[in-house]
Amino acid sequence: MGMWSRIRKTFRGDRHNTEIQEELEFHLQMDAARGHDHRQTRVRLGNVTRIAEDTRAMGIVEWLDSALQDARYGLRQLRKTPALVLAVVLSLTVGVGANTAIFSLVDAAILRPLPVKDPDSLRIVEWTNEGFPAEVDNINGDVKHGSGKQIQASSVAAWLYRRLAREQTTFEALVGIADPDNVALAAGTAPPEHVSLQYVSGNFFQGLGALPVIGRPFRDEEDRVGRETIVIVSHRLWMRRLGGGTDVLDRTIRINNVPARIAGVAPPGFFGLKAGQWTDVYAPLAARVAFQPRGGDLRGEDDSDWWVRQVGRMKPGAPELTAGVQIAGLFRTLAVREGTKTDPKEIPELITLPGRRGFGALNTRDANALWILMLLVGVLLLMVSANVTNLLLARSVGRQRESAVRLALGAARTRLFRQHLIESGVLALLGGAAGLALGYVLAQSIHLLFQTGRDASSAFDLHLDLRVLGYTGALSTLTALLFGLAPAVRAARADLGDALKAQTRSVMGGRLRLPRFLVSMQIALCLTALVAAGLLGRSLENLKWVDVGFDRENLAYASVSPGRAGYTAERTGPYLDRVREELARLPGVIRVSTVQTRLLSGGGNNGRVNFPGRPWSDASRSNLNRVGEGFFETLRIPLVAGRTIERRDLRPDAGTVVVDEVFARRYFPNENPLGRRFGLDPKNNNRYEIVGVVGNSMYNSLRSDAYPTVYEPYSPGATVHFVIRTTVDSTRLAEGVRRAVASVDPSVPLTEFRTQTALIDRTLRTERLLGFVSGAFGLVALILAAIGLGGLLAYAVARRTNEIGVRMALGAAAGDVIRMVLRDSLWMAGAGILIGLPCAYAIAGVLKTSLFRLEPLDPLTAALSFFALLAVAVLAAWIPARRAARIDPMSALREE
Amino acid sequence: MPKADNLQGSLELLVMKILRRGPNHGFAISSYIQESSDEVLRVEAGSLYPALHRMTEAGLLKAGWRMSEAGRRARFYELTVKGRRQLEAEQKKWRAISAAVAKILRTA
Repeated sequence: MGMWSRIRKTFRGDRHNTEIQEELEFHLQMDAARGHDHRQTRVRLGNVTRIAEDTRAMGIVEWLDSALQDARYGLRQLRKTPALVLAVVLSLTVGVGANTAIFSLVDAAILRPLPVKDPDSLRIVEWTNEGFPAEVDNINGDVKHGSGKQIQASSVAAWLYRRLAREQTTFEALVGIADPDNVALAAGTAPPEHVSLQYVSGNFFQGLGALPVIGRPFRDEEDRVGRETIVIVSHRLWMRRLGGGTDVLDRTIRINNVPARIAGVAPPGFFGLKAGQWTDVYAPLAARVAFQPRGGDLRGEDDSDWWVRQVGRMKPGAPELTAGVQIAGLFRTLAVREGTKTDPKEIPELITLPGRRGFGALNTRDANALWILMLLVGVLLLMVSANVTNLLLARSVGRQRESAVRLALGAARTRLFRQHLIESGVLALLGGAAGLALGYVLAQSIHLLFQTGRDASSAFDLHLDLRVLGYTGALSTLTALLFGLAPAVRAARADLGDALKAQTRSVMGGRLRLPRFLVSMQIALCLTALVAAGLLGRSLENLKWVDVGFDRENLAYASVSPGRAGYTAERTGPYLDRVREELARLPGVIRVSTVQTRLLSGGGNNGRVNFPGRPWSDASRSNLNRVGEGFFETLRIPLVAGRTIERRDLRPDAGTVVVDEVFARRYFPNENPLGRRFGLDPKNNNRYEIVGVVGNSMYNSLRSDAYPTVYEPYSPGATVHFVIRTTVDSTRLAEGVRRAVASVDPSVPLTEFRTQTALIDRTLRTERLLGFVSGAFGLVALILAAIGLGGLLAYAVARRTNEIGVRMALGAAAGDVIRMVLRDSLWMAGAGILIGLPCAYAIAGVLKTSLFRLEPLDPLTAALSFFALLAVAVLAAWIPARRAARIDPMSALREE
Repeated sequence: MPKADNLQGSLELLVMKILRRGPNHGFAISSYIQESSDEVLRVEAGSLYPALHRMTEAGLLKAGWRMSEAGRRARFYELTVKGRRQLEAEQKKWRAISAAVAKILRTA
């Protein structure tokens, strides 16, 4: 390449560069004027250019260039030790992958802001009050009980919301949204399908800045009872079910058998306001009257039913506090103007909460579980770092001569230091990339585990986005620094004289102090992980084998919602009888009954009991359920006294109830409960008569202690659950049940079919997730510890070959040598366990609230973890010890 | 980061010393070194210009375009205050080292 072209290329475009060119040109011409050989000068100038380029580009360019050089050099060095590179990259993959997986879950479920315009300016509006406001019959959404009678709830009545939204001036917009409802959607001739629907206010899409991709948002006037029902469908439903074409606009679909016209398609990725919950259809708040008729008849909105959540968007620059005060004040004014309230104490106080992430996706227990997993993967990554550090340290010993030679040839120590860091960086990059891939797969699997027993509409958005990429990148870099620092420092500190003397022994600090410490740290971290895994696993076992009070095997629930297909109360009874007959006729089915609340499904009703002659108080409460004839026989709940619910009890005005033993013992101690009466509201203490007492059973949570339960005679609600006792594995019944239900009336589909064990598993999904994932991580931790310990011992044995040879020549037996290695191993493990005890104690404290019938200082867990580590110490020592014992004294000495 | 190189160190010293007498361009500096050392020291352009740029970056010199005595535009270098101070220090160091070396050469 010609010199001038090189100059031009190097100096292209830059004003500074043309200056350099001119300067050099000047030099050339002056030189030529003196009669010097022009060509020779030019050739020399070729060098000038290159060096001038170096000088000119001081700083970033030069640094990058030499860094690239170092990276290439590092890659060449790494290629020489493929086994080591593989070990390092694999460890990093596991460490980074586990962290990426858990982080992407935490991010999707807890951290990520809503996919709407400027989520930071969103505020959730809730209210607090002393007890339930008197005019309220029902509150949907979240109701939290604070200290005393104080409650905090999320929803208000639809009319209240509309008035607030219209009259408020605090927010740019105040939007309303209900919790999702499950509805039957029929499009075209296909059989109806159950999808998730949310009722939203007319300004919902504009207010959130999430305008439909096709079609239009709702209009305020469309949120009125009695108008034609308009819906907006989600992008997902549009693609999956409605063909994904623009012809979807103005198409009519049927929701719960009510026609509705599609006005738009929500933007892709918009799931509603709660992460992990995908809404398929949005309808105006007022459409609820049409879609969810109570008892089959159309009626107006019920003002005592509070079900609309509110989210406001702050005006830019508006002060936070004023907004809260203003909206609360307006609410109070409204309540007073409506004449319902004058005493300020009786008017709920509105409060504003940050709305950046929407409504809480996880309950406290689930969120805790994720943070616990985050902690565990952090521990895992530290172990991986320690392992990799040791691998690289061992390798840097081999490279000591290389470092020394480079130093002797004039390399700067800083350059050597950087060289090593860059090599670590290359390794971290490889591990990070592989970890990202593993993390993605892991996240999907953990997510599946997390979603066990939940329907398709609940799923977290786990695509790899910049946030996850950034996290993984930062984590890998941090890890590279963590494990790259020690070897880099060592390389830069290499003692020239020592290293060149070809004696590698002194190089790593004769006693391998740092590596030993790191291995002990690994053992300590491993102990922590094991204790966590042990506690969570044992807690899960405790939960699984808890006595539920009925036979949970071969039991299933089939659910239908005839109301959604237009069945009135009068027609529902005969319909249910026919379905029940069809189900009972299925092969393998022994008994069928009905129940209002499926046992251990996570939900349930609870109320105060009003006994004659006793005060109406919170102290006497009971779980409530409604059951059909043969329910106790179907579940195999033993009858203790009296009789069970029979067909004659199943009338609307029936007053016969069955209670369980806890109820009988707590409220009628030392008395015969049969024939005693009580009520379930403050005005009536005589409504019910106890006709039977049955055994205790778990109602809605495996964690709850024995609790009183009242069983009323069954009367159908919106959703009817049939409970089915089978002789065969009940999962195989699903298809038969679906056909049996369809055979009675095809317009009423089976909404749900679940086995009792699946329901129980669903309530345990957080615990299963924790138990399973922590168990897997514990195992990986154990393997890492074994590799770390074994690797270091093997290395130590190799270094001490001479010494061992001498010992054997002087009469040491093979057993002595094995004991020596073993002692070494046990010493490191012992030190690690000692360091790990406080860590394990700390993590047990963190887990305390997640444990079921288990003390954090569970002796069995502690013992198991201890012995597992002991076994690892012995096993890891085995191969190096055998090798040491086989050392031939003569050849070992000859090597010296 | 400038490389700590003995030869370059003395080149910088010479450059600063020459520029102490007044601003000048690269060619003049190289000619001056060559001539006043009776052709013993010869500065390659390949060393000189990078050194000049390096010293400018380091704030020891200030550069600017002026007319040369030949009536052409040339890049002139001028010693900064920092450069003056550096020159004093380097000169002192150089004298001490050469005195020490000379002493050893005499006595050994």
